[in-house]
Amino acid sequence: MNLFPSMMAQAVETNMWKQLPGPSLYGMVVLGLVLGIILCLVLSRVPSNMRRWVIVGFTFMAGLPYVAAFLWPTPIGANFTEDLPRNGAEQIGFFLNQAMEPVGTITNIIQGFLLGVGFYSLVRIHSTKIRRKQENWGFSIVLLTCFVLMATFGLLDWKMRTFEDKTGALNTQENWTFVNYAQDFLFAGLYQQMDSAMFSMIAFFILSAAYRAFRIRSVEATVMMASALILMLNLMGALTFAQGQLMEQMAANTDNLFLLNFKINTFANWLRSTMQIPALRAIDFGVGLGALAMGLRLWLGLEKGGVT
Amino acid sequence: MQKVDRRILYGILVVAVCVGLFFPSTIRTDPDPSSKSFYAEIQKLQPGSTIIVQTDWTNSTRGESLGHFENLMRLVMNGDHKFIFYSAADPAAPQVARTVIATIVAERKAQGLKEYRVGEDYVDLGYFPNAEATNTSMGANLRAAWAGRRSKMPDGNEIDIFKTPVLSKVQRIEDCQMMIVVTASQSIDIAVQRLAKKVPISALVTGVVGPTVLPFYQSGQIKGVAVGLKGVYDMEYLMEYGINDTEIEGRKYVTWDKPGAVKKIEKGTRFARGRQYYGTLHVALTLLILAVVMGNVAMFAARRRKGDQV
Repeated sequence: MNLFPSMMAQAVETNMWKQLPGPSLYGMVVLGLVLGIILCLVLSRVPSNMRRWVIVGFTFMAGLPYVAAFLWPTPIGANFTEDLPRNGAEQIGFFLNQAMEPVGTITNIIQGFLLGVGFYSLVRIHSTKIRRKQENWGFSIVLLTCFVLMATFGLLDWKMRTFEDKTGALNTQENWTFVNYAQDFLFAGLYQQMDSAMFSMIAFFILSAAYRAFRIRSVEATVMMASALILMLNLMGALTFAQGQLMEQMAANTDNLFLLNFKINTFANWLRSTMQIPALRAIDFGVGLGALAMGLRLWLGLEKGGVT
Repeated sequence: MQKVDRRILYGILVVAVCVGLFFPSTIRTDPDPSSKSFYAEIQKLQPGSTIIVQTDWTNSTRGESLGHFENLMRLVMNGDHKFIFYSAADPAAPQVARTVIATIVAERKAQGLKEYRVGEDYVDLGYFPNAEATNTSMGANLRAAWAGRRSKMPDGNEIDIFKTPVLSKVQRIEDCQMMIVVTASQSIDIAVQRLAKKVPISALVTGVVGPTVLPFYQSGQIKGVAVGLKGVYDMEYLMEYGINDTEIEGRKYVTWDKPGAVKKIEKGTRFARGRQYYGTLHVALTLLILAVVMGNVAMFAARRRKGDQV
């Protein structure tokens, strides 16, 4: 039985989600654009008491393809791009799995728009702050200046490398222009270094915390500290290697292979695989179940937070 | 002692950590089993294999991830493999990766080794904003997931990525021999959840992410993983000595509880950033252990004093 044959043209180069360039594709683009504009206009007119249902509806629609594709049975090892479905049930499974890519593309595009929203929000908040000379407005000037400079030189550099540099000459520093140097200075010279510097400050907090907070106050704390100590020692190759050699020698001299269990890296590996990993797996199970429950609540519109 | 000025602690840390950087030394070590697995898996690939590299790190974790990525590039280029790279976690990550690739290409060129060229040997896919959707799409239909992307070629022209020598024979993700995720975040979890049944996955992760990835390694969902700075050094050590390969005074330099040998790398740079930083890691960890011990000694001393007063 063929269900919706026009929608489910499997194992061909084109389907509902994938059109070759031509009048059909352009028609779909124009149609999508018109429908999108109409949708935006309609959404902006939705009364506020109905908005929750709009959000719930969109959330449900967004999650539905993934849930349906996961739950709908498909032949084991099916190749959804090359195989042909044998019956109606398989056709639906193929259709849902083929839909994964366009749904993913749509998700990526929407997420891309979030960057635009972030850009708009950043500029609006900080320009308002500067205009009203609110507290620390000087930092807002720095932020917006950096923002403009980074975007300008980044785009100019990208344009030069992508469209103008046909021979790859800009891969060599001798051929750089002011724009390339400026982009390199801003991205590699400033941004990357500051990024690293920010993260490296954690080292100071860790040292301070090690001195002040890591205390043997209970049995649990003692066990935790002993485990942490062994795992830290295991990271020190010079120490573990020397200690390992010593234990091997002792085992050979006394003919007692049990001593090999006391090599730091053997003990650390045992701690990891027998204690740490099972504990993490248990936590993962818990987190997974929690995420599933929360995901279901969000998907079915049962969660009030975020949509009110 | 309980009231040591934190600036003194910070000063000791700065001095101790910086000194190590100026005296890089080769330290004997026994690489972690997960690092050995990573090395063995990548060395097992036939020359010309296609590898997907998901690079999800930026310079906030440069201390670990930069060394990982450099080592990966050296390994991939040494094996004459083709690769595709993209990020699904951070918009700045592809640019960071491009910088590293350019450095390694220049390094190999100076050493008289094959110069990797964009379009011919590797493809730059840029940034995908949503990791879940991207990985799911890649698993469902790789050609559709990456459709419309173009790559620059050595002659300066641009062509569809699926017409490049890198991807011309790739129809689906199963046609790629390996996927490697270099990450400082949970993006490895997403890759495993969506793609582990379709392509062998390995990972290069930071020390913070490491413990969360090890369950995947133990269950066989990822083939190998190098964790943190120790992982960077492990990889360099393995490139230098191989596994069950180099023998010194009749003893294998790096041994493994699995049969067979994994060859060392003969040409190009082996020891680099890991070697430079590994001594510093020793110093920093020693300092950390000392701080913990001293903190506890101080606590017990204070308790005893209080007890005496009572």
